[in-house]
Amino acid sequence: MKLRNQSIKESLTGYLFISPQMLIFLVFLVYPIFEGIRLSLYQINYTSEKFVGLDNYVTLFNDPIFFKALLNTVVFVVFIVVLTVGFALFVSSAVFDKNAKYVSFIRGSYYVPVMVSMVVMSMVWSFLLNPANGLISYFSQEMNLGTVNLLGKTTTVLPVIIFVTFATNVGQAIILYIAAMVGVPKDLFEAAEVDGANRWHVITKILIPSVSSTTIYIAIINIIAVLKIFVVIQLLTGGGPNNASVTLMYYLYNNAFKYNQLGVASAVGVIMFLITLLLSVPQLRALIKDM
Amino acid sequence: MKRKRFLTTIIALIMLTTMLAGCSGNNNSGTNTGGDTSGKKEKVELKVWLTPQWKGVLDASESGADYDSFMKYAAEKFTKQYDKYDVKVNVEVIAGDQRDQLLNVNLSSSTPPDVFFESVFAMGDYVHRGAMVPLTDIVDEAAKSDIAQSYWDAVTFGDDVYFYPFQHNPGTLVYNADMLKAAGLEKYIGGENDIQTWTLAEYEEILEGLKNNLPKDKYSNAYPMALYAMNTQGDTWNLAYMRMFGNTFFDEEGNVVLDDANGVKAASWLKKIKDAGYTNPGPESVSSNDVNGMFQNQQLAISFTNPVLFNNIKADMASGKTNKFDIRLANVPSESGDPLSFTYVVGASVFQSNDEKRVEVAKEFVKFFSSDPELVKSSKNSIPVRSSVVEEFKNDNPLFAAYDANSQYLFNFTGNVPGYSQLREVLYPELQALYIGSKTAEQAVKDYQEKGNNVIQSNKASSIIYQK
Repeated sequence: MKLRNQSIKESLTGYLFISPQMLIFLVFLVYPIFEGIRLSLYQINYTSEKFVGLDNYVTLFNDPIFFKALLNTVVFVVFIVVLTVGFALFVSSAVFDKNAKYVSFIRGSYYVPVMVSMVVMSMVWSFLLNPANGLISYFSQEMNLGTVNLLGKTTTVLPVIIFVTFATNVGQAIILYIAAMVGVPKDLFEAAEVDGANRWHVITKILIPSVSSTTIYIAIINIIAVLKIFVVIQLLTGGGPNNASVTLMYYLYNNAFKYNQLGVASAVGVIMFLITLLLSVPQLRALIKDM
Repeated sequence: MKRKRFLTTIIALIMLTTMLAGCSGNNNSGTNTGGDTSGKKEKVELKVWLTPQWKGVLDASESGADYDSFMKYAAEKFTKQYDKYDVKVNVEVIAGDQRDQLLNVNLSSSTPPDVFFESVFAMGDYVHRGAMVPLTDIVDEAAKSDIAQSYWDAVTFGDDVYFYPFQHNPGTLVYNADMLKAAGLEKYIGGENDIQTWTLAEYEEILEGLKNNLPKDKYSNAYPMALYAMNTQGDTWNLAYMRMFGNTFFDEEGNVVLDDANGVKAASWLKKIKDAGYTNPGPESVSSNDVNGMFQNQQLAISFTNPVLFNNIKADMASGKTNKFDIRLANVPSESGDPLSFTYVVGASVFQSNDEKRVEVAKEFVKFFSSDPELVKSSKNSIPVRSSVVEEFKNDNPLFAAYDANSQYLFNFTGNVPGYSQLREVLYPELQALYIGSKTAEQAVKDYQEKGNNVIQSNKASSIIYQK
């Protein structure tokens, strides 16, 4: 009995310590999820709310732009995550064992765009890409190559946004990979050297498997970040041309803040939440298994 | 184990109760309308929003002139003479293309501005949605006799006035007369104080002349005409182009009727001039802000304007911010030869904050700056709605007469339909599809009509004016 009391006392202290964090978590993370689910079942006006069941979801599934947004989001997630992981692995494995100053320089160089606001980055890209008075178009005309409008073609707008987002975010992945690679035990590399392994073998057989938990982590945070991609779309394309670059987050924003369809926007939010959950759970399980 | 669970449950309940208590706290306090028991006047704080209208109090050439100068000056004058409450007015300038987003967010969280000074066409939806209070009771006979009935009609929804008309902004084209001269098109240049009317054939000739004969050494990287469809901003000119071949746009029931031969012809014309290189490249990803900047940098010969933009460009030239060149006005041409003319009535509205005192003071403030003899003179920055102000300044501003002559050609571009803001959102994706060639002119106008009419129907169903 005494032992049990002691255990409760110990637990109570723990609960008290985490209670402020739990409170914030419940109010700002858990509550909005449930509120979002509830709102997705209502038609909302400034003055009233009317329960409409699954009507908002029916509206969504009858809208071709929703499916375009869904497809674009999947394309963004796949390409940006693959590019980020691939490029970050390439850069990190190339530099991780070089001298400390050089590694710091590389880390710093790639991290600069991460620190700059996405709004500023989008404005810089807009200055370059604007077909009427942008720098790229200007040089192209000076060289008699005609105007270039990469944001105005349905075939090029997605690759451009993928590149802009990738270029802005890849620094974070490089930092994480270099940190993980520096921590790989040196005796593994020494053993490989004794066995006569070349650098390719070292990277593929030792380095990449050793940092697999970092890879999973980078993939998860990037999937979630890309699902929420918004600023670059808003500032560079406005979802255009003809909805070619609209994403789920932008579609949600349009419904909530332009069309005042809060119920439909909440339904999009619920669907995005489910997609994120589905994508994250298997990876989180793998991460936990490895730990 | 059971005890442990019990304890966990208790802690969870305490946290939940705290959370609910936090959430259900009285949030009607709004923007500081606290009472005061010390005998002093009660404090009332107002939030006033406006989109960029004109710079300066009375004139854009004043030192330190900015978009909020007038409203700040009006607020200062109002608070000095108002004795019922101790009023503080916070003025904020909102970008035109963020207006609906900001308003929707703030309305959803019950924190709308108290006063909004903006074009009526963009704000009518908020009346239909019940977000605004009527201003009928602050309109007196003096105002009624000084402001023509057509302006009162534009601000009346159902039986009530919802906006206090202050000025109006007729939309026209603006052209660089120096560029026309350089391209050998002198004969098409109108007088300095005229709004030139070209026939459609003449207009096409001008575009062709500008494309082929503009000296490249003087105007490198310049284009004949502005065309843009990235978002809703400045879309009224796009709507004017859609009427160029005589399409009425709305029928008597307020439905879009663009899907006829004239509507298709207009869309085809836009595509034709874009493909012929008479416009800036990539209108599908260019905004009206972009083309406005290009016009000021002399990269476009013909662009869009209204009296406020026109005066701001002139003020920027006078202050040396931009290079000086000869700018003049022209009408949007049409196939019939009659110009296409439209205007934005601009005025203040009051949002329903559910705080009686704030609504009361907001209405008093709107009435004050919309009727104060000194403050209403600022409406000369555009075109005043008050005949007394027009009379006072008509000799200083000869364009007042030109705008007046144009008024016979005015068309109502909103059709007074509910959901107009949302209707604007479905136009530009169709124009983009037209410009990038993914839809034919026929398909683009057909799809716009279908989507537009869905918007109008659904908004009619929830409009407090239609459902009265």
